Amino acid sequence: MKRKIVILLLIFASFIIKAQQKEILNLFTDRDLYISGETLLLKVFASSGEQSGIINIDLVNRSGKKITGAILELINNQADGFLYLPDSLSSGFYLLRSSTRTNKMLTSKELYIANRFTGLPESNSDLQPAGLIPINETGVPDLQIIGVEKQYKLREKGHATLQIPTTLIDKVDGDLSFSIASVNQEFTSPQFLEKSEPEARQSAVKEGIIIEGIITDLKTGKPFKNAVVYLSIPDSIPGFQYFITADDGLFNFQVGKYYGKIPVVIQCFAKENSNLLKITLKDHSNLKNTMPAFERRTFTSEFKKNVEKATAAVTFRKIFNQQDIAIQPSPVVKRDAYPYYGIPTKTIDPQQFVDLPNFNEISKELLPGVKFRNYNRNPTLQVLNAAQLYYFTEQPLLLLDGIPIRDLNVIKDMGSKEIDKIEICMNERFYGDLIFPGVVAIYTSKADYTRVPESNDLIKLNLEVIQPRAIFNTPSDLRLNDPDLRQVLLWKPSLKPASKMELDFQTSDIKGSFKLIIHGKTRDGSTFYKEQIFEVN
Amino acid sequence: MGNRILYIITFFGLLISTSLQAQDGFTKKWTAEKIKGTRQIPYGVYSGSPFLNDKFATGEIEFSDGSKMDSLGLRYSSYRDEIIYYNATIGAQIIIDKISLNGFSFTDEAGQNRVFRQQYYDGFLPGNRYFEVLSDGDIALLVYRKVVLQVCPPYNDNSGVLKNMSYQDAYNYYLYNRQKGYELIRLNRNSLISNFDKLTQKSVKKILRKNKVQVTDESSFVIAWNLIKENGIIINF
Repeated sequence: MKRKIVILLLIFASFIIKAQQKEILNLFTDRDLYISGETLLLKVFASSGEQSGIINIDLVNRSGKKITGAILELINNQADGFLYLPDSLSSGFYLLRSSTRTNKMLTSKELYIANRFTGLPESNSDLQPAGLIPINETGVPDLQIIGVEKQYKLREKGHATLQIPTTLIDKVDGDLSFSIASVNQEFTSPQFLEKSEPEARQSAVKEGIIIEGIITDLKTGKPFKNAVVYLSIPDSIPGFQYFITADDGLFNFQVGKYYGKIPVVIQCFAKENSNLLKITLKDHSNLKNTMPAFERRTFTSEFKKNVEKATAAVTFRKIFNQQDIAIQPSPVVKRDAYPYYGIPTKTIDPQQFVDLPNFNEISKELLPGVKFRNYNRNPTLQVLNAAQLYYFTEQPLLLLDGIPIRDLNVIKDMGSKEIDKIEICMNERFYGDLIFPGVVAIYTSKADYTRVPESNDLIKLNLEVIQPRAIFNTPSDLRLNDPDLRQVLLWKPSLKPASKMELDFQTSDIKGSFKLIIHGKTRDGSTFYKEQIFEVN
Repeated sequence: MGNRILYIITFFGLLISTSLQAQDGFTKKWTAEKIKGTRQIPYGVYSGSPFLNDKFATGEIEFSDGSKMDSLGLRYSSYRDEIIYYNATIGAQIIIDKISLNGFSFTDEAGQNRVFRQQYYDGFLPGNRYFEVLSDGDIALLVYRKVVLQVCPPYNDNSGVLKNMSYQDAYNYYLYNRQKGYELIRLNRNSLISNFDKLTQKSVKKILRKNKVQVTDESSFVIAWNLIKENGIIINF
């Protein structure tokens, strides 16, 4: 009987291990060697059982500090994106990591990035991650690449035909990734797995990113209970979320389907008393994942030559402002049809009336049901409850460009010229468990919310959210007579698999070895590839 | 020993299910839609009721983005065509913004599930209205449960105040098709049969006779309507 229990436990354990193996992400980049200032192109394949809708890409240095990153949207269990490698990066080995909030294993890739201005270290060596166990990728002999020559001339047109057997097409999960890029035979880096600490990173669940932080009492420094935290996204119809803290003072928000960079304002206040509070956002720049061991590697003269060649190419591309990718417009996301504070009872455009110097005058002359007074330099604001015909005793929800503000001094000097429109809700509004005794929403002409002052309890962020889609620029985008110093000749990260696929490319002014490679993922979670190397002389 | 295996299996099963539940709860918290609305101001007290259900009934609402929120205390105001929910956290009766909903449903005191759909009415007094769905399909049978405040013979209310107004039902029944719009229908046999062409009318009558259905009120009308649908008879609408 004991044996039966042991067998049962072993079966269970094997199931868990199998499930974990299938949950891993697969990360591929266009190349392994980069020069600072370049654009890194990447592709991620996730398992079909992936829970998260978002992939985090982090470029970390040797000490584990995040240099740059991207948040990619998983579509059909795959994502593709790019990273601009900062010009300021010092030469060295870096790790590119892909992860989700829930994955217990990170998939990493080792890259070498040489600084465009300083080149390789004088010692001609650098510390390289060691002892990494690569993820096995299966080569598929029955996937055929036809029509690719062994040698090409500069700026010569090439053509590749991919013949994929139907048995393989049936097995493929999603799209295929296809790239042709310069290859450095001296340095190739496979993807490998690292253990992860999921709770330590800012990431996402189904869609969008998570913002986490803690509210503390400014005096005592202890976590503050019952603080109301607002997250506002200034817009024509502002985005808004709120969170009421528990004993631990922690809060978190999910910023949904927004693309690119968006302004976000986080503010808090005590629900019942006037304690001074402080917002501290979780810092995600220092990833807690342990770093692999490093050992010194001496560069060969061939490697050095390749870096010098690539540096020159990148510098020229910078001079001629040649970009590898073109950012696509973000998909249109259906948002609320009306603001969270309700459909306004009245909307007033002060610029259609005689110029008024301050908000006191504007409220008196133009805003029905709004009482703004500034007696003894202590401004007050009240809104009429139109349903019951009395003025609310409490201050209404006052918004400036969609950001709730409590200090009336911010608006008291605002004249007609600065205001685009004012929306008033003359009733008691409810949003979840929040009560607003009337609403006055001011939208400024500049719409830059610079009047809202930053403080301990108000943080303005320019938040990097889901990366917008980008397409690879083809040589036809280049101007005539411009040097063509592309190191990536073709990058098609999402190609629908078909039994016969035709692909055209054109070599650049760069000589050397180029690798054509196709990656894909099968339904059972394993990845496969097929590659062919050719020379350009 | 057999029991021990059972315990082990149960233990691991529970472990997996709790972790899955926890994940689901966390996601729900982030994505949960917030109810938007205004405070409900009490209506004037007259005989009759301005509400379809005087007591709050447990139900669910469907937001315009398709997401749902359940276990809410709901009360439909037939007088104002508004859905009111009770927010226990802040102790307020809140009229949910009509524009933010696709519809709502609740179980009334008789245990019957009432489903309401918010849709645009293009007839007299056009606008978005809540229609109760009596029978859904390509052609839906809808009712606009309107209650009006009307002058009535004078009466003394519970406090002895003399009044001459009362809330009275003014329900309107419609056949609705997405392309063809609304058609007002009365709750009687002739009105029902008139929606079919001459040839079909015979078979409709036969079905009603065979099933001993006398179309006299709402429930019998719905029964008759469903019987006709079940028999695959196409309505001339």
